[in-house]
Amino acid sequence: MPIEMEVDIPENISHGGENNAFQKGQKRPTLLPVDDAHPFDLETYISGYTGRTAVDRLLLVISTCPTIAPQALKLALTHIQQLRDPALYQSAIATYEYLASIPGVNVPPTSEIDSMRSSWMDETVKKNQAERTKLEVELKTYSNNMIKESIRMGHRDLGDFFRATGDFPMALKNYTKSREFCTTSQHVLDMCLSVLELLIEQKNYAHIPTYVFKADAALDAANAASNNAAANNPQATQATTNKKFAEREKVQSKLDLATALSCLGLANYEKAALTFLKLGSAQQLGDWLGKLVAPSDIAIYGTLCALSTLSRSAIKSQLLDNAVFSVYIEQEPYIRELIQAYMTSNFKMTLELLSRYSTRHSVDLHLAAHIQEITNCIRNVAIILYFQPFASIKLDRMSTAFGWTIEEVEKEVVALIQSGQIQGRVDSQNKILKAKKTDYRAELFARAIRAGAEMQCANRKLLLRMRLQQADIVVKSPKVPQSGHSGELLGD
Amino acid sequence: MNQSGLPTPPLQPGQQASASNANTPSTSNQQSSSDNVHPLSLDSLLVHITTSSSPHTLNQTLRNCAPKDVRETILSSFLGGGQDPLTLLDIRSHTLGVLYILSARLNTSISLPPPLQYVEDFCRSFSPEQARYAPDRVTLLAKGIACFSETIGNPKCAITPLYSLVERYSPTPSHLTTVHRIFLSACVSTRHFTAALPVLSHPITTIDTTLSDIHYNDNLVYHYAGGMALAALKRWSEAEEFFEICVTSPGQVPAAIQMEALKKWLIVQLIYRGKIMPLPKYTNPMLFRSIKNTPYTSFANFYPQHIDQLRTILEKDNQLFTNDKTLGLLSQALERAPRWSITKLTSTYLTLGLSDIGRAVGIQKEEDVRVLILSMVESSEISAQISADGTVTFADPPPTFSKEDVDRVLMEAQEQGAQLARLEKEMARSREYLTKAVRNKDDSSWGPAVDDDSAFTDRAAGNWTDDAMFS
Repeated sequence: MPIEMEVDIPENISHGGENNAFQKGQKRPTLLPVDDAHPFDLETYISGYTGRTAVDRLLLVISTCPTIAPQALKLALTHIQQLRDPALYQSAIATYEYLASIPGVNVPPTSEIDSMRSSWMDETVKKNQAERTKLEVELKTYSNNMIKESIRMGHRDLGDFFRATGDFPMALKNYTKSREFCTTSQHVLDMCLSVLELLIEQKNYAHIPTYVFKADAALDAANAASNNAAANNPQATQATTNKKFAEREKVQSKLDLATALSCLGLANYEKAALTFLKLGSAQQLGDWLGKLVAPSDIAIYGTLCALSTLSRSAIKSQLLDNAVFSVYIEQEPYIRELIQAYMTSNFKMTLELLSRYSTRHSVDLHLAAHIQEITNCIRNVAIILYFQPFASIKLDRMSTAFGWTIEEVEKEVVALIQSGQIQGRVDSQNKILKAKKTDYRAELFARAIRAGAEMQCANRKLLLRMRLQQADIVVKSPKVPQSGHSGELLGD
Repeated sequence: MNQSGLPTPPLQPGQQASASNANTPSTSNQQSSSDNVHPLSLDSLLVHITTSSSPHTLNQTLRNCAPKDVRETILSSFLGGGQDPLTLLDIRSHTLGVLYILSARLNTSISLPPPLQYVEDFCRSFSPEQARYAPDRVTLLAKGIACFSETIGNPKCAITPLYSLVERYSPTPSHLTTVHRIFLSACVSTRHFTAALPVLSHPITTIDTTLSDIHYNDNLVYHYAGGMALAALKRWSEAEEFFEICVTSPGQVPAAIQMEALKKWLIVQLIYRGKIMPLPKYTNPMLFRSIKNTPYTSFANFYPQHIDQLRTILEKDNQLFTNDKTLGLLSQALERAPRWSITKLTSTYLTLGLSDIGRAVGIQKEEDVRVLILSMVESSEISAQISADGTVTFADPPPTFSKEDVDRVLMEAQEQGAQLARLEKEMARSREYLTKAVRNKDDSSWGPAVDDDSAFTDRAAGNWTDDAMFS
């Protein structure tokens, strides 16, 4: 459907995720290498995902990694056949062809890979149309009969249907509509979770907190209700309570994951790190693992955010000593190496690992937009930590420690000094970084005297202002004919 | 007398009121003269002036002697015998009378203007105590002097008399009067900036509406023109303060002159500080909004590092800047941009080659950089050494303070404290404060508790409805 591609505006988040991925590729045609220095195993990577997110991820891979694009397209097409959104097929092909059109990229033509049965498209479209009509008729009947619960389910089913067929605005509309017909807080909760899934899929991070908040309230209410029921019914066994509790934990974990993803998406890395580190175990996340993210993603997001924003002691207490999170880390062995290197101040290794796995990070749906900034943060923190114990240090020593040239080191250090993160000055001729020595006594005097002068100034100005107000000498709107002077408002 | 042919001087609120007072008994010459013993003529008024012992009653008489137009005409006429009344009056003892006659004569076009020398003499030797009985006439006189100097094609000559007027009329230099604004405007429009310095060096802190009928424009224009004069003299810190006062003057709506002042304030800050300080919180928010996204803010954003962008902005919006008359200031800011870049470098580097500095601040020739740094060191903006091989070593000597400095600062602080305490006490016993305080006390005896309660119940109610909705 070429029309759809045309109307798609990158800013317009309500459009399909697959198109977004494609647009991203257009905006950022930096191509990522996949070779021995940047290992990336597509099969393993994609096996962690199911459904639409797998396709979305594959499309991102197609648009950025020419070397494995054919393989990715093949995988994507197999996945697409199991779904029911024909538009995905179009965009997969379009993404691939766009990549092929970039000068300097050599990939086999589409026809060699495209193994889709041509009838699949028509069949799917037909099937979708039939199901849509069926569901809409059903909903109409329910509405006529005014059965609240059935109307809710009708909306929910329609929402699910639109989501599966890739019409996100309609899906969102139906989900939110179903809220009017919710009778229990469990229903509200279900609605919120569906919307959250949708939002995460669409990468609409700004909206996530709203629904997390709503879901939280619903969760509390549901709990209160079940507690009441338990109180009224003393025979209720311990087992049911336990089950309830586990259920609640599960929902809470999902909500936490949603919050964490939205923080990451909104570039609030510190909060994202803290939320990822508090996340419940993999079992609690249930079907969201695979459908939205893989456990290894959680390990990567959490660790990178933590390294870029948290202090060493916080990393130790919240990451290293965190039994639940270690399970996630097991999924990606290099993450463990990364943390080790960082904690032992082996910054060269840290940065090398980051660059080695940069492809893996850059083809991630949620991380891609932020990986550059996160890497920068980690690098800055590393430099600051490295310089901390020294009063002065030769830049070439730093360059060996970080594996950079002296010019690079100088550039980084100067940037950090200018942003106020390192208290020091560079001796550019002798290539030495010296910590700033402050004469605190003199500075105190200077500051006190400056503050005094400023305060006197401010007092004087405020006094005048007060007097002006007391005398009612304030600028008035010329519409009110206060006096003959108003005409001079523009000044002499 | 042809009344309609008379020029009308700008209306003054006070005057208007007094004129209408005099008008109430449907005035004609005969009627009002029936109140007075003497029929209305300059001769009779002159008798009043010379014989009256109380300036207050004299002021009343002169003000109410006739409807406004008639009064001005009479005051600006000559005596019956064709004599100039001014020659018969002594400036010091008959200040009020002379003030009335002078101000009338300077403002009516048909009369013969008084000699300039006489005006100057008057301003130099009038009695301020008497003149303060008729503040509106002082304003009129000042305006008259400014107008008159323009009509005779010599606007400069207004400065001397106006300066004496400002200096002698206000009881302390910190009082603002209407004359201030007229004087400053005269100085700025004739580009005699230094003449304004003695007045500008005293910050205005006192407003007395009985001293002169101040309009908000008097305050705005005075500070704006003051800022212009100081900026022209490159006294940036003072100029910054004057513009700031103009920008932050209280108002329901911002005046156009405040916007102009804001633009200039921004540029002066760039010149003086190399960056922009935030506006005080009490600035009218409309001003914030209207300065946003203008070439001025983008200029400030690129300052001082991105010389090329700065130049582009200057070229692109040349017309706008020329219309705003800010081009001169902006070019000065642009000229100083490398200095600010170098100052920034000193906090990052200990040593740096001349060529590196040139690259960082956008100057190609090493020799130019050397000259610039030398001049900066001379004006003690930075402290640095240039060695023979072109390496610049920056140093920052810790600021030193002598005991005298500290003592002086302490003294000033104590004075300020005492002054504020006095003000506080004054405020605490003022009628307005007391009425307000008493009223609030009555209202709020149980106020806070009630408020808390209601807030609490509100929230509780909200929760309850939510619960009901979900369960």
